[in-house]
Amino acid sequence: MNARSAGPAGTGGLPTTFLVARREVRLRLRSRVFVGGTIVMTGLVVIGIVVASVLAGRTTPVLVGFAGGSQALERTFAASAAALGANVTTSDVADVAAGRAQVTAGTLDVLVTGSATAPTAVAKSAIASNVESALSLAAEAARLAHAGLSPAAITSAMAMVPVQLLQPRDPKDTQNVLASLALGIVLWIALGQYGNMVAQGVVEEKATRIMEILLATIEPSRLLAGKVIGIGLVGLLQLTIVGAAALITVHLTGLGAIPALGVASVVADILWFLIGFLFYATAYSAVASLVSRQEEVQSAIAPIAILQIAGYLLVYAALPNPTGTLATVCSVLPPFAPILMAVRMAATDVPLWQVGLAVALTLASIVGLIWLAGRIYANAALRLGSRVRFMDAFRG
Amino acid sequence: MSGTSRRALEIDGISKRYGETVAVRDLTFEVRAGELFGFVGRNGAGKTTTMRIVLGVLAPDAGAVRWLGAPLTFEARRRIGYMPEERGLYPRMQVAEQLAYLGELHGMPDADAQEAALGWLDRFGLADRRATDLQALSLGNQQRVQLAAALVFGPDVLVLDEPFVGLDPVAVDVMADVLRERADAGVPVIFSSHELDLVERLCDRVGIIDHGRMVACGTVAELRAGGRERRWIDSPAPAADWGAGLPGVRLVETDGSRRLFELEPGVDDQALLQAALAAGPVRAFERMEPTLGELFRAVIGETEA
Repeated sequence: MNARSAGPAGTGGLPTTFLVARREVRLRLRSRVFVGGTIVMTGLVVIGIVVASVLAGRTTPVLVGFAGGSQALERTFAASAAALGANVTTSDVADVAAGRAQVTAGTLDVLVTGSATAPTAVAKSAIASNVESALSLAAEAARLAHAGLSPAAITSAMAMVPVQLLQPRDPKDTQNVLASLALGIVLWIALGQYGNMVAQGVVEEKATRIMEILLATIEPSRLLAGKVIGIGLVGLLQLTIVGAAALITVHLTGLGAIPALGVASVVADILWFLIGFLFYATAYSAVASLVSRQEEVQSAIAPIAILQIAGYLLVYAALPNPTGTLATVCSVLPPFAPILMAVRMAATDVPLWQVGLAVALTLASIVGLIWLAGRIYANAALRLGSRVRFMDAFRG
Repeated sequence: MSGTSRRALEIDGISKRYGETVAVRDLTFEVRAGELFGFVGRNGAGKTTTMRIVLGVLAPDAGAVRWLGAPLTFEARRRIGYMPEERGLYPRMQVAEQLAYLGELHGMPDADAQEAALGWLDRFGLADRRATDLQALSLGNQQRVQLAAALVFGPDVLVLDEPFVGLDPVAVDVMADVLRERADAGVPVIFSSHELDLVERLCDRVGIIDHGRMVACGTVAELRAGGRERRWIDSPAPAADWGAGLPGVRLVETDGSRRLFELEPGVDDQALLQAALAAGPVRAFERMEPTLGELFRAVIGETEA
């Protein structure tokens, strides 16, 4: 147990990369940004899931009132509406004028007046087509009955054409796409937030001039690695808290049937955060090390931030057709893979080879980025003052 | 038991240029263990560049820095306490925590670092501010923390760029005591300063740098040996040309009845006294030791000429 050989400190202290990471974790966990951010993010996710579950469980019924002779249509109308998939509630209206007033006021959606064989529907601005069809069917049945057909003959005359769906649409599909989008947005926000933290942290050390003291005792690569690891762990912790809260809420609200909100999907999302964070944090740290003032950070990281925003926009382009060419190709390309592949995996069944390819390409580019960022950072870290040009920092 | 490894920080022929500007050229000197070395020179003379090269935050174009007879490795550099010209610590980090962190970065175990951090805060009169964020301290107190940061891990060598700037007289005394104490403990201490009185009072040896060259280096007494002798003469005799008429004698300053003369090397001061006595009564005849400030101006003036 010789600490002397264990760490680069050489005099019994802990490895410097660990010390730097520990400082980041300690300070950031204590900060209001982390505590407040975690509470707000968790709250938004939980509220979002609860609202979604409420919306998913309820479609507002169409209120249809019958006045005068048309009241005889109520039963057949309700049956036809059910057959057509329209959610309706029927009621009797005593007076046509009062019924019209109710339609105008919005307390009634449709008012049916006139006789059973020749009814008229009154609506405010529009009437759902399946409600209209149900009403027409009911009137037609009434006319056939008036013509003397037996109820059995009427039923047979009005039998609907059976429809056979080769690929029936699962009503859960839409919900799943929305849930995947939500996952993508949370992931995107987290990647942006923690990537920015690394950029700000790098510039803080230049801006406050502590860099010179630090680099007199620790190699640039270790300082950078410690910072990225420390901030990454904080981000991982925050996402795990948010993810756990989301999973518990999903379980309690019974939305667990949506695949995008399952444990596997949320865990995959967190893993993609790790990979994406390594990619973006490394890139951010390289460009941020070129400037010495906090005001310059945003313009310095703009090229990387634009890539990240492009990835976000691609999510919207890819989600309607998550197995299409655009979605498939972009989801394996490193700058977009962390967000796009995560969203595709939530939205649909992605072939394993595509996931593997995306991970492999992203990890390979991370290795390259670490080399590049280490070089840029080491050369630019002590050049305080005006902005260092990228190629100057690269050449050293 | 000196052997080949000398307990000295040796700066051996270092040069550094920025584009067309030569910051340091072929600079050679050493700071011995147990010695307080004052590094003086005008702004832009090359002091900071030299110190940054010693710390390895800047690479020299030529030359080497050695400690204990061997070129400074990264591990050896980590044992140097450094106070850079551009002060810098984390503004939003508590003072004691920050010092302990720096102590650990320099290789101290956790508990030792915390103890040392509190010890130095106590020494600089900041014990009650240990849990304060650095940015909430006054500039003078931030400066004290900066000094503590250079000292916290018990460095083998101290390199301090303008450590006395911004300190109140009490803090200057504490700092001077601390530097003396570290030097007495066998640590080579080099610091730059424009406060030449302080350097003269405090330092064992002084190096004067100008345009990147060491133009004078040694004890203050040694620096004086190369300079010109000065004499104060207090005589109520009306201003006469008795002094200025002597070969190799120059009137430097007149203060009422007191006059200051500068003698060229080899000029006999008794001839000056006799000339004064011939002109009238002499109340005082006093040998003037030039201050470091005067020596400094003389040396810099020479190189300018």
